[in-house]
Amino acid sequence: MENDSLVFHGDLQQLLEKVETGEMIPKLQASHAPMCKFFTAYYVISGIRHVVPLVHGPTGCPLYMSDFVRTRECCEIRGVPLEPTACTTLDESHIIYGGEGKLLEAVKEAYAKYHPDLIVILSCCCSGIIGDDVESIAREAEKQVGCRVLALRSEGFGGDFRSGYEDAFKLIMELMDPPKTMMKGTINILGARWGPSPTEFNWDLDEIERLLSAIGIKINAIIAGGCTVDQIRHAREVELNASWCYDWGQKLGDLMQEKFGIPYSKTGQPYGPEATKEWLLGVATPLGMEEEALAVIEREMKEVEPDLAYLRQALSGKTAIIEISEFPGPIRALSLARMAEEFGARPVVINVHPYTIKERMPSIKYILGTGLNPEIILTRGLFRLGSFRSSKETEDELEAIVRMYDNVIFFGNSGRFPPCPVVNLSLMNPAFQPQYGYKGIKNIAALVRQALENRNLPRSRLFRGMLYGTGKR
Amino acid sequence: MAPENDEEPAGRKIPVPESCTDPYLRCAFNGAAQTALGVAGSALLAHSPQGCEYLVNNAFASQECDYMETVTLCTKLCVDEIVHGGEDILARTIREAKDLPISALFVISACGPEIVGDDIVAVCETLQPEVKFRLVPIPSPGFRGSQYDGIDIALDTILKRLVKTGTDTIPGSVCLIAPHANANPTWQADLAWVKQALSRMGIPVVATLTHKTPLSEIENCASAETSLLLSHDAGQKAADYLSTTSGIEQVCKGIPLPIGLTNTQRWLAALGERFGAEKTAESMVAEGEKMVMATCRRKWPMARFLYRTPAAIVADATIGIPLVRFVTEEMEMTPELVALYTSQRSVRELLERELRDIGISPKVVYGTDVYKTKMGLDEVRPKVIFGSTIERHACRGLPVPYVVEVVRIMRQFRMINREYFGYTGILNLFECVQNEWTMAWRSKEKRYEAKW
Repeated sequence: MENDSLVFHGDLQQLLEKVETGEMIPKLQASHAPMCKFFTAYYVISGIRHVVPLVHGPTGCPLYMSDFVRTRECCEIRGVPLEPTACTTLDESHIIYGGEGKLLEAVKEAYAKYHPDLIVILSCCCSGIIGDDVESIAREAEKQVGCRVLALRSEGFGGDFRSGYEDAFKLIMELMDPPKTMMKGTINILGARWGPSPTEFNWDLDEIERLLSAIGIKINAIIAGGCTVDQIRHAREVELNASWCYDWGQKLGDLMQEKFGIPYSKTGQPYGPEATKEWLLGVATPLGMEEEALAVIEREMKEVEPDLAYLRQALSGKTAIIEISEFPGPIRALSLARMAEEFGARPVVINVHPYTIKERMPSIKYILGTGLNPEIILTRGLFRLGSFRSSKETEDELEAIVRMYDNVIFFGNSGRFPPCPVVNLSLMNPAFQPQYGYKGIKNIAALVRQALENRNLPRSRLFRGMLYGTGKR
Repeated sequence: MAPENDEEPAGRKIPVPESCTDPYLRCAFNGAAQTALGVAGSALLAHSPQGCEYLVNNAFASQECDYMETVTLCTKLCVDEIVHGGEDILARTIREAKDLPISALFVISACGPEIVGDDIVAVCETLQPEVKFRLVPIPSPGFRGSQYDGIDIALDTILKRLVKTGTDTIPGSVCLIAPHANANPTWQADLAWVKQALSRMGIPVVATLTHKTPLSEIENCASAETSLLLSHDAGQKAADYLSTTSGIEQVCKGIPLPIGLTNTQRWLAALGERFGAEKTAESMVAEGEKMVMATCRRKWPMARFLYRTPAAIVADATIGIPLVRFVTEEMEMTPELVALYTSQRSVRELLERELRDIGISPKVVYGTDVYKTKMGLDEVRPKVIFGSTIERHACRGLPVPYVVEVVRIMRQFRMINREYFGYTGILNLFECVQNEWTMAWRSKEKRYEAKW
């Protein structure tokens, strides 16, 4: 590979330092735009049952939410009934004269139409810039309707995607009543979002719930993955908070610990046997259920022993090149790096954008704190103007990187065509889900087996041409 | 969506505008992006916070752009730019794009920069000498209205900024307007059918506003003798502008678009008459009707079993209005609810004329939103709905056996674009009914387990 194609080659700690010192600018190029604060706030809020997210803005802001999140994801895939995505439909006159009056009417109308348990006003760019006082309106409206009314300042310009998640989780804390009792052996799972059913990857959370149930641990609420307002009200009565993903649960976990004194189990994603054990013990030990957890772990480990043996044999001595830069995200890539290392492979994570390092700083630091510090490569193509979906330049660079190493296996998705076995970890294929926990070990072993045993089968000329064109390579 | 600014007919009670809606339509910014992305060899720069880029992505998909050919950029405005202005970052981003191999860069601005007063027109004028491509600013904040308003805004800019005046008229030619203001998820096939029909009648298309339209076509669009509007929801202003400024006559005005036998016959006949191609139009109608009937004879559309079944139509006006006659006449159902996304006067007049002519009086909801649709369905209790995935879920709990998804389909299941216009369009709509009929009849549970 030509040296000028490599922008960074070092380890995670060094990359973090470069981002922190400003040597690498954590800014996405103009052709790459992640979700805005409003989107992510909506994701979290819509994860509460019988809520009306009331968007105080023009019709463009809620439409992606109502089409993609509500109708396609929730109704079509997750068995959630059609829920409202209400909007005040601000127009030019409201921009000039203000939209507070209309907002107050809209809250009352929303209550009359939808009979919700909760209304959350989400402000957008327009209402934010013109200075509509959404909090005061929420307070006023609450006196006039029969449910709680909260307001969230979620203007798209007001922060990056992460701030929407975090502010929404913070807002949810306002619904939590002082505890009247303690629910023994019960936890909340934090950090879920995306529609009123468990998180965007149901299978992973199902696996967590299965294991917790086997240990005898009960779940009060999955916040905010399909929980009810009532469950949130009782959220302070649990013994412990845990997170389905450290990255997303961390903020709410820390806040609830700080404000309410509820301990928070800080563990990474349960990829592979060690991380899964850590996750389960991280929850069971503080609850005094360590023995039960160890028994479950032992039983489950026996169940997956053939898969563990296969993964050890298959991955030992290999270089595992890992690329999960867009979906489902870099934290999974790093969790996989840990799993690969556990089975004797040398992980090399490629193309984690400095922007991602900045946005996920607490999680990156946590991961480094666990002792994981994988080799990282960033290539020039990562910073070029182009499509988010696919870039021929990064594909060419990936292929060149693979040639730099011996005995390589690639963990990513089937949209890449490196000259080595490809483990397809796309979350778009439910045939091999979940990836968490012991079922995850079985699935990942099956994916590795498919990659290695079929390494000599031809790759699709059609899909390659579709993604990268048919021009001279 | 907000009620549009047309006066109500005399004597009718003006409904109180609602404060809380659950809209079907996207905003003006999205409509402008859809229109700009229909220009081939161009790129689009959204001067907006990063979330608005998702409205651009939606437009990108709607226009079937290819990410290997079309780049979209975003200034990703943050608090700093809202407080201090975003013109500098806009200029920087345009400079960043200066090596792109394009003929035009459309700069569309969203709510934020428009409220704080960023002058995208001035920035484009200043930067124009530095870049090889045309800079086309389109101020199109979401609060200016619905996606259809955005289409009108963008078409207005395109016509005023890019079209050359004083060009020679090409006799018997046509300019197609707003093919993309159509809720058929594969509307490109409707456009293709129109082009094929025009070609058969010997009518040259000077320009399409817009879909894969080279800048050179747009520049010459004033040389068209006529214009043909392909939407009942947007584009009328563009047709009026061309008429006023260049004397371009609008053809097929006030006729429902060609969905179903009668509508297609009427539309083709009008074209044939205007362009002196009556005989060709007649043969197209005869051949088309023969083909549809012969195909149905061989394939047996199950739609024939839905005779006098109460139906609801929930769609944009472009598909919804022509569907009324098709559903009533060709499929023999009884429309009992017609809910249209838009409510402008031309839409009301056209639908009301059609209802009178057919002799039916269903419940009509103009400018519907999801709530009004759900309430309408609850009141009317149809057995068949022609609508979208939303209505499939909105009718839960109601005894609706068939929801025929023809617009705004959330699961993109078509690899080949399917038209609703014309004769194959009739078969495509029958196929939608057929598939829904099959699904409704499929056994959901087995009565016992097989032994093997």
